[in-house]
Amino acid sequence: MTADPRLEVPFCGLTLKNPLVLLSGCVGFGHEYPRVAGFSNAQVGAVCLKGTTGAARPGNPAHRVVETPAGMLNAIGLQNPGVAHVVEHILPTLDFGQTCYIANLSGSTVEEYVAVARQLDDTPLQALEINISCPNVKEGGVTFGNDPDMSARVVAAVRAVTDKPLITKLSPNQADIAANARRCLEAGSDAFAVINTLQGMAVDIHTRRPVLGNVQGGLSGPAIKPIALLKVHQVAQVCVPHGVPIIGQGGIASGTDALEFLIAGASAVGIGTGLFYDPLLCHKVLADLQAYLDTHGFDTIGELTGSLQHSA
Amino acid sequence: MTTEATIFEECAEIVAHRHWPGAQHVLTLHAPLTAAAAVPGQFVHLATGERHALRRPLSIMRAMPGQGWIEVLYKAVGRGTQVLAERGVGERLALLGPIGRGFTPVAGRPRALLLGGGVGLPPMIFLAEARRQLARQTLVLLGSEVPFPFQPRPSQQLIAGMPHGVIGTMPLLEDWGIGCRLASRAGLPGCHDGFVTDLARLHLDALDEPTREATMLYGCGPEPMLTAVAALAREYMLPCQLSLEEYMACAVGGCAGCVVPVHEPAGLAMRRVCVDGPVFDAAAVYPG
Ligand SMILES: Cc1cc2nc3c(=O)[nH]c(=O)nc-3n(C[C@H](O)[C@H](O)[C@H](O)COP(=O)(O)OP(=O)(O)OC[C@H]3O[C@@H](n4cnc5c(N)ncnc54)[C@H](O)[C@@H]3O)c2cc1C
Ligand SMILES: Cc1cc2nc3c(=O)[nH]c(=O)nc-3n(C[C@H](O)[C@H](O)[C@H](O)COP(=O)(O)O)c2cc1C
Ligand code: FES
Repeated sequence: MTADPRLEVPFCGLTLKNPLVLLSGCVGFGHEYPRVAGFSNAQVGAVCLKGTTGAARPGNPAHRVVETPAGMLNAIGLQNPGVAHVVEHILPTLDFGQTCYIANLSGSTVEEYVAVARQLDDTPLQALEINISCPNVKEGGVTFGNDPDMSARVVAAVRAVTDKPLITKLSPNQADIAANARRCLEAGSDAFAVINTLQGMAVDIHTRRPVLGNVQGGLSGPAIKPIALLKVHQVAQVCVPHGVPIIGQGGIASGTDALEFLIAGASAVGIGTGLFYDPLLCHKVLADLQAYLDTHGFDTIGELTGSLQHSA
Repeated sequence: MTTEATIFEECAEIVAHRHWPGAQHVLTLHAPLTAAAAVPGQFVHLATGERHALRRPLSIMRAMPGQGWIEVLYKAVGRGTQVLAERGVGERLALLGPIGRGFTPVAGRPRALLLGGGVGLPPMIFLAEARRQLARQTLVLLGSEVPFPFQPRPSQQLIAGMPHGVIGTMPLLEDWGIGCRLASRAGLPGCHDGFVTDLARLHLDALDEPTREATMLYGCGPEPMLTAVAALAREYMLPCQLSLEEYMACAVGGCAGCVVPVHEPAGLAMRRVCVDGPVFDAAAVYPG
């Protein structure tokens, strides 16, 4: 499809060609989905790469994924080759003219987040996403993200070592996501990704064992969409006055889903699990967004962000 | 770097859907791009027709590039495959294929023993058909604990080492001139009362040394069978390739959901069954 300027989204100093963002952990390091004929990273506004840590991690034992009603659980355990390998061997193979590539940082300690951010600072990556919400690792991840003090510490420490736009990926597994967002904003976050997966589990009744090797995993897909929408709406109350954008995500599997997130307060929308249902979903979502602009008389997609009408 | 597009998304029409005892189903789909590119050992990631459901990985059993169809054989074991079993001729299912690394011949091993257990049969049929076109010597041994998804018939071919009365074969393979014998502990007539690996052992023992040394093993089936095939390969010092299964989400390498530990020269690595496999060297996945 030819570029449609109406779909362009300003995003912390970057311009996304459209509001679609491919989500971390669902599209590897950018080279995987293009195996599918008709798929291209150039079709979307940005691609978030797999969670990257200081040292290489082997990840969790099998099973790592399992289907649940209208969704799935995953417990990958941040399998990745480590930041040095990513910088030396993977980033040089990406075409940064195609789309914006965003790294997804993780660590077990604040120092590890900082070390990863430092090494990614001097690369062509357009932005860094701080994942303080991974439910599948023993240390760091969601244990940081559920504690506003720790969240703010990680963000401030990363902020101190990079000038790249910083996106903080918030966990839905916490009491007051808006309060946490406020702390991260004060600590220097330029944007938010809302939401990461919810913690969950599945049981195999034949073996009476947890299905996932890691026992628990993160729930994604359409099942979490209503929760994600509410969290976006809540975080938007904090962000909008500061002009801080949100990448809304959690269960988007159609153009309608994407529109709901934009109206609730997101500037961009992420697609992860939806790709597993339909690897060519992005085409369809973009066509639906264009059709909506046409029929509802909006000039740009940005006008939709936060356009939620309050009930009487 | 640009990734080559080797996997196609097709909206495949169901051409035939035949149902066999033991909840086994043979599904024929019009998927011309997949049919044209598929090689033995590859699979498709098939939507079941249900909304908001992950696709199901199923091995390709036959591919007819000329007619544009592929065939899969599956067992209805859970919700997804049960929903699939209800789909009728004329309906369309989204399909991604062909996916994965298939079987590869090994130099100096022109003869092959193909071992298929249960619904591990499909890749063995595809491989047998491909080998037939190359006029390579092939023996297929199939095992099942439920009636086979075909009507066995007595074979006219002599096969070294087979016990008395073990004469049942798969008609399709017999028609292709490929040797085949069946094993089942369900007391099926003409079948060996035991495992496919028992039959394989009897056959290998009946071969002379040079013939055995020209042979390799290929296997697909449930985990206990795969470990038994890997052990057999070790014992007889034969190269062996196995097709593995693991739960999948994307099936294109993007999610790292389907990994298995693989012993490589550089050490243990977590490899994706979907794109690094599903076929792996037996010694690398079951080192013993
Ligand atoms: C490469 C490959 C080739 C396969 N080829 C065949 C084939 O030719 N014929 C056949 O009958 N089966 C085959 N399988 C297994 C088949 O994919 C599963 O039986 C099927 O996914 C089960 O789905 P379900 O909804 O009926 O079961 P459920 O148990 O309800 O499934 C729940 C979830 O677990 C996954 N799952 C459960 N069992 C398996 C399994 N053994 N392998 C992978 N995922 C599983 C499902 O995909 C689903 O996401 C193959 C698997 C792989 C990985
Ligand atoms: C298989 C899988 C792996 C994921 N890995 C990561 C990861 O490494 N880092 C991260 O921040 N989020 C990760 N996520 C979360 C997604 O990026 C996304 O936030 C979440 O799945 C919700 O969106 P969805 O419902 O569209 O998938 C992963 C999700 C899935 C399904
Ligand atoms: S299923 Fe996603 S990497 Fe194999």
